[in-house]
Amino acid sequence: MKRGNEESITRALNEIWPRVKKKHLFPQIPTPVVGENDEAVAIEMKDKQIILNQRVCEKLAEEMPREDVIEALLDHGTSHYTYCPWDLSTHLFLYSETKQVIKDPEMVKRVTGYFMDIVGNTYCVKEKGTKIPELYKYLERQSHTFQRTELDKVISSLYQRIWGVNLDVSGYNDLSGRLSRIPYLDKDRWSKSIKSFARIIRPLLESEKEKTAGDGNSQNTMGDHGLSGYSEEEIEDGLREFAGKTGNPEEFKEMVSDFEDELKDLGFGETGGMGRGHGESIDADLLFYMKLAEHFNIPIQKIPMEKSGSMHPHSHTPWEVGRPFQDIDIWTSFGKIIPGITQVWNKREGEIFGEMEGTPDCIIVIDSSGSMVNPTKNLSYAVLGAGCASDAYLRSDSRVAVYNFSDAAAGGKQLLDFSRNRKEVYGTLCRYFGGGTNLKLKDLEVLRRKSKTDIFIITDMQITNLEKVIDYFSEIDNRVTAVYIGRHNRYAKRFEEATQKRKNIALYNVDKKEDIPSIVLGKIKEYFRMAS
Amino acid sequence: MKNPFVRFKDYESCKREIPLDGIIRSKDIVIDKLVAGYENIVEEEVKSLVWVVERSRLMETYSKAKEVISDLEYTAEDIEEFCYELDSNERLPYLITGPSGIYISALCNHAKETEITLKLNELKRKMHLIGYQLPEGKRLIVEGDMGNFIGTRLEGGELIIEGCVKDWVGAGMRKGKITVRKYAGYHTAEWMMDGEIWVEGKIRGIGKIINGKVYEMGKPANPSYSSSPSYEGYIR
Amino acid sequence: MAKSEYQKKIRDIYRFIEDNLYFNRPDFHIKGKRFNSTMLLTLLTGLIKGKELIIGEPGLGKTTSAEYVSSLLYQCPLGVIWGSEVPGHPEQTEEKIIGRPDLGKLNRGIEDVVWSNFTQLPVKIVDEINRLPETKQSMILDGVDRGHWEYLNEMIINEEYCLFATANYQDRGTNTIIAPLIDRFDIILESKHPGPNLSFMIGDNHKEHMLRNSVYEKKLEKILKSKDTYEKKLPQMEKICNEFGEYLRSELGIEAVNKDERQRISSDIRRLEFDLDASAFTIMLITELSFCHKYGQKRSHEGCEEGCHYTGYLCHEIKNCASNRLPSSIRSYSQAIAWFMDADEVDIEDVRTIVPYTIAHRIQWKEDHLMRKERNRRNDPLQLYLAKEVVNDVFHRYSEQKEEVKQALSTGFRILNGEELEPVNGDHPVYEEIKNDLISLGDVGDDERYG
Repeated sequence: MKRGNEESITRALNEIWPRVKKKHLFPQIPTPVVGENDEAVAIEMKDKQIILNQRVCEKLAEEMPREDVIEALLDHGTSHYTYCPWDLSTHLFLYSETKQVIKDPEMVKRVTGYFMDIVGNTYCVKEKGTKIPELYKYLERQSHTFQRTELDKVISSLYQRIWGVNLDVSGYNDLSGRLSRIPYLDKDRWSKSIKSFARIIRPLLESEKEKTAGDGNSQNTMGDHGLSGYSEEEIEDGLREFAGKTGNPEEFKEMVSDFEDELKDLGFGETGGMGRGHGESIDADLLFYMKLAEHFNIPIQKIPMEKSGSMHPHSHTPWEVGRPFQDIDIWTSFGKIIPGITQVWNKREGEIFGEMEGTPDCIIVIDSSGSMVNPTKNLSYAVLGAGCASDAYLRSDSRVAVYNFSDAAAGGKQLLDFSRNRKEVYGTLCRYFGGGTNLKLKDLEVLRRKSKTDIFIITDMQITNLEKVIDYFSEIDNRVTAVYIGRHNRYAKRFEEATQKRKNIALYNVDKKEDIPSIVLGKIKEYFRMAS
Repeated sequence: MKNPFVRFKDYESCKREIPLDGIIRSKDIVIDKLVAGYENIVEEEVKSLVWVVERSRLMETYSKAKEVISDLEYTAEDIEEFCYELDSNERLPYLITGPSGIYISALCNHAKETEITLKLNELKRKMHLIGYQLPEGKRLIVEGDMGNFIGTRLEGGELIIEGCVKDWVGAGMRKGKITVRKYAGYHTAEWMMDGEIWVEGKIRGIGKIINGKVYEMGKPANPSYSSSPSYEGYIR
Repeated sequence: MAKSEYQKKIRDIYRFIEDNLYFNRPDFHIKGKRFNSTMLLTLLTGLIKGKELIIGEPGLGKTTSAEYVSSLLYQCPLGVIWGSEVPGHPEQTEEKIIGRPDLGKLNRGIEDVVWSNFTQLPVKIVDEINRLPETKQSMILDGVDRGHWEYLNEMIINEEYCLFATANYQDRGTNTIIAPLIDRFDIILESKHPGPNLSFMIGDNHKEHMLRNSVYEKKLEKILKSKDTYEKKLPQMEKICNEFGEYLRSELGIEAVNKDERQRISSDIRRLEFDLDASAFTIMLITELSFCHKYGQKRSHEGCEEGCHYTGYLCHEIKNCASNRLPSSIRSYSQAIAWFMDADEVDIEDVRTIVPYTIAHRIQWKEDHLMRKERNRRNDPLQLYLAKEVVNDVFHRYSEQKEEVKQALSTGFRILNGEELEPVNGDHPVYEEIKNDLISLGDVGDDERYG
């Protein structure tokens, strides 16, 4: 019997879906399917696939035409892909805005979910012609069956007010009145709107939380909004966008920790290029800098083409009287010297590839002493700059070694041998020691001898053995890019004076920390042009 | 030349108007007016580098605020939203705490509702002078922590602060009742003429009271009424 | 034949190739159905006289997909198609591509042209076009653009024709296809690896033999090489092709398409109108591909202004301006796909699905944008991936503002028709462009217009 019901719902679904798709301008999502679970949730979304709960659909169809139930649920689900949130980046944005009002991650998820539902539903009611209001009317009538919470009722009361339809809900006038003042359909104001929304419903959520402390089970009938609704590519993009938007490792870390289980289910968290794979907990600091660095790209000049000096036949043109005979192609001229038939070869100088220079490997030397920003607490432009430089080399199929130091002589150092593993590189860059600043040149020399390599050092230059460092850089012939952070200090001045005659050393000063990503990248561009 | 839009000749939008549109439209108009009124008030004030709380200045600003809002129709929700507009600094380039408090107080005092609740817990900044001249018959409940001069020159209304207040709460109040659910700062009830101040937490310091009653954690706290010398410790 | 019978016929051809000749995964989704983009779009190219560039790794069926489709759409034995193909290499000459003097007659002092099979057959396949020098690429594209071929003082006119050109990815042995030439291709697509399982099946049968028949091949070759005029040869060729079509039907159970049917299909396709959303979306897209707030339109040598208000739009990410060939490619392929899906008009899904293939080769991206995206996880070549991504972005903007955009266009009509209305304002370059039209086209007297 169950099987028969599922088939008939699927049949109806297949009939209705093309209509719904057209109504929503053909979203690029797969055809929804019917599934079954025991929860009172009507709709689930997994990897962009809408799954209708057969049990709930059947229950709803007791009082409403089944076609209307399916259409309403599809309208609701589709609106999340076509209007709000549209993508994970917007979802995380709404989440982080709510987080400014409410700290409890579960509550924040619920607020975000409800807000997106209201926006999506109201969008459908206003622009699409939908059976969603009828669906809510029935849900309220059967509130016990569908485990409708007080918050659900408040939201229905809000719908009644803002859609102008009777959903048979009474009471909650104060709350729904306040909620009705929020411009749900104005995307530019979603940041403020969701905060107001969160403020208004927070007391309800808190009292609900107290009530359900035992079973901890407050479900949104229209389904929860987790990360599973998005495709893997969207999650990669969403994290990158969010890292760029927030620019704050703490905030990013908080978000990753709130969604940790879901992210782990999706494969983030173990070794691998993008920090993906099942297993240990996600290193959010590392993920933050990896994602943030993806916003900045440093082009490396390609191997230049050179003229070979020799000419080769390239194409034909008709021979004209008066033109020399030696270039005539007798084969295509059929042995004739007649204007219009006779053809000559046009010759071009050949191009060959210039002397193979390629892009060498690079040793990234990063200062993580106490005078530098702790990358796990605040946005460290040193880590970001070093990350961008590493990415540039890795993109060119070169290898990167990292020497992270504070007081190296006292053990404050971490070395990574030449590697193409981006996660390992960022893992070493993100390490923060604090303490003094002393570079152990022997360690650097060991790395330097392993490969023909560039050196990229990023520091505030307050290195206790600066003179030795200067001597060392002056003796080697590797290309060195030194970037120092902070105001022009006497150490930097000394470094500049000592190295200004060395053609292989380029020193860049960054006055304001806020400018580091672009200025460092700009300087590096110059460096590559100069070097290649 | 052919009309390039000819394909859209018969187009008519199928977007329908829902009550939300009307609610937002009228609310936006009200908020715009409240913002314009505030800008009017601070136009002059912004020229001063420091806004000093003086009796005459308070009176002057308050009467200007009353004048500006006399024709406005608004609700308690509008006042609350205006407070967040002020706090966000997006539409209003400057928040001068004195005039803004006076302006919000004027809005509350002249609102139609006799009981107003402002949920201001999420404000990033503390509002000052809230409840200024709150008249008899009005009840103002403010959720969140407030700044200085709360309930100054209260005129018989009931002011409830669901949080802490800073200094000078109830300064020069004429009559009425102020309840502070948590703590109060220095100079509490300074130049208080009459009425009651109930602070449910501790008071850091009580000012010179002319008349009226101050209670701290449920017990009388006026120095003259005090039976316990422990208050001396709070008076600076 | 009823209208939908033609669609059935074409779908049968698609299915026949999919089942027997060209094994590949579906990567093109429309109206809930899945197709392989290379095969489907190649079929449509054959039906609408299009110009298609197929890219891909060597040996992944770039040329063969076009050969199979051409053989069945034009009832032409595979051997003849092979014989007409132009292989791309730097030494290729005009004489091998278009035609040569009749040497016998030339020795008698008479100029006469022996036309190549490439020019005479409606199906034109150029293998590895990027290995041809630019002059030869241009010559072929010129010929296909206009449908006529000239050599010495003679000319032949093709009544129907389509072009399939293949190109390997850029490597050391290839020339590039320069921008003005690449713009002449209506679409670009990639012949992908079918995956190991399908790939393993490919060697199972000698599939190409299915579409070969030495009798008809010889007959056709004879006609093609005869000294008759091209106009005289055409009915003779058609007769043999119809016979080959009959052979295909009886031997393989597949009905190929004859000339009358092709013409009927082509005119049915052209008759399909765009619905309002499809039209407005296309206008919005073209706006973003051509608009520049500062300089009036995109120009390859003029960059964007720092802090331009329209930084979030597509115009900010690209260097060049959309050509006038683009709308025509979008139109004809969208109509074709709508026809293929048996629709009464072209809707936004048709346009949205087709557009990436029409813009991928035409857009010149800014370096920054390319570098930001090149390492993204994807299933398509970078250009096509980027095109799909931006079409998605433009669609997002359109779906948010569709009513306003259509209203703005409708108001534009009424203003130009003399009504006293204000143009609709909004946050998209399309509103600016509507106003530009209203300024340049509105209230113009004849004197001013022609003066």
